[in-house]
Amino acid sequence: MSQTGYIIIAVSILLALLVTFIVSFVLYRRTPVPKGCEDIKASEEKCSGCSHVECHFYQDKEENK
Amino acid sequence: MNMFIAFLLAIITSMLVDNVVLSRFYGICPFLGVSKKVKSSLGMGVAVVFVIILATVICWPLYNYVLVPAGIPYLDTVAYILVIASLVQLVGLFIKKYSPGLYKTLGIYLPLITTNCAVLGVAQSNTDQGLGFVESLANGLGTSVGFLLIIVVFSCIRVRLESSNTPKAFKGLPIALITAAIMAIAFMGLQGLFVRG
Amino acid sequence: MEVKKMKREKGYTRKNFLKGIVIENPLFVSILGTCPALATTKSIEAAIGMGLLFTIVLICSNMLVSLLRKLIPEEIRTPAYIVIIATFVTIVKMFTNAFLSELYSTLGVFISLIVVNCIVLGRAEAYASKNNVFDSLIDALGMGLGYMLALITMAFFRELLGLGGFTFGKIFQFIPLTTLQIIPKGYEIKMFQTPAGAFIVFGLILAVLAFIKNRKAELKANIEKREKIRKAQEAKEAALKAAVNNGGNK
Repeated sequence: MSQTGYIIIAVSILLALLVTFIVSFVLYRRTPVPKGCEDIKASEEKCSGCSHVECHFYQDKEENK
Repeated sequence: MNMFIAFLLAIITSMLVDNVVLSRFYGICPFLGVSKKVKSSLGMGVAVVFVIILATVICWPLYNYVLVPAGIPYLDTVAYILVIASLVQLVGLFIKKYSPGLYKTLGIYLPLITTNCAVLGVAQSNTDQGLGFVESLANGLGTSVGFLLIIVVFSCIRVRLESSNTPKAFKGLPIALITAAIMAIAFMGLQGLFVRG
Repeated sequence: MEVKKMKREKGYTRKNFLKGIVIENPLFVSILGTCPALATTKSIEAAIGMGLLFTIVLICSNMLVSLLRKLIPEEIRTPAYIVIIATFVTIVKMFTNAFLSELYSTLGVFISLIVVNCIVLGRAEAYASKNNVFDSLIDALGMGLGYMLALITMAFFRELLGLGGFTFGKIFQFIPLTTLQIIPKGYEIKMFQTPAGAFIVFGLILAVLAFIKNRKAELKANIEKREKIRKAQEAKEAALKAAVNNGGNK
């Protein structure tokens, strides 16, 4: 196969990865939190240190400010 | 048999002798952030082990059979971060949907793993060193189990530190870092375990 | 439009720039980006290099995120940011490999790890996605410089104590090789070059900062206490005077 063909395949695989990521990200966000886990809230006791934006400990902390 | 011993040796090397956190400095953020309670550190560690192994299994073929033949090996970082991020989201989705019990212990740490240096660090250093598939797997396994080991041991020490009488300025992170330094010195002693090469 | 103009007080740009260096220093105050901070601070030169690459990536990603903030849908913000950051890191990595190969081999995998540095994603999400391009640029400059200064602080102690002096020109090879030996050979503490030394230096710096913070809070509390006592006394005296005056009137 020619080099161009390989590049097209590789780029399409990368694009597929990107699409997988976006779809799974959106699905993850939309899936409701299972029963019994709604009350997990931010607490200084459990963590400190990394104030990670993705972590909802951090998000709760920001909301409380 | 010989291969098996080499595999085991590689695992032990990357787990103890060349520990991720204490000598390669991957994943310090969760190491310091999520180690206040033993339970949460265990959850984080297990999640990291799972994701690192999956990521290694996917990233190696992706690099060697897709990126290299196409002549774009320089896009490795982008490809790896995409793989890791989608893996984390997919695993999280699965757990959220089918296993509320697991979600309770692991769920909150899963999104954090995307930006855990250890995962991308292992994938990237496997590529940079040009390791084969089995070696990469051994490296991934050893690294992740080493991370689990260290974060759990560290959280056990931290729980005791909470109740000890430390100077006011050292409360919290500073004393934890000094503890990590002492642990690093202890792990340096393991460097004489194997004479490599 | 009115609201936006109201919000923008005088000297906002200066404050925005300085906050990254002192009040919200990413390394020493927010404890973010600790992995490269411990790994790449063996020498001041490596720290400067890491800080520079980091600042460049932060500036580029902050500006692009800020430019695209109205185009990226709310739901897929994080994936978009990750891809943007990864692209810039790849570009920076290739440039480093081409023009500063010594720096490239010193930092190794930590150049790629800028992708997962919490600061870059954090700034994109917390600041650049809500503010205009110029403000984002200033924010990125401040944060990057703050991070670089923090790295240099750590590297200063590690190189001084671990090697006894400073060497320049080893990584940035366009500078002539100069060595500044401060502690005589044989009296340096090699331990500070090892991982354990990195942890100790970082821990001690954090402890000193906590000490200063505690001291400041104490002083403030003391002043407030004294003020309170003084006010109470004044009120007492005033009441006494009033009572005396009243007595005199009778």
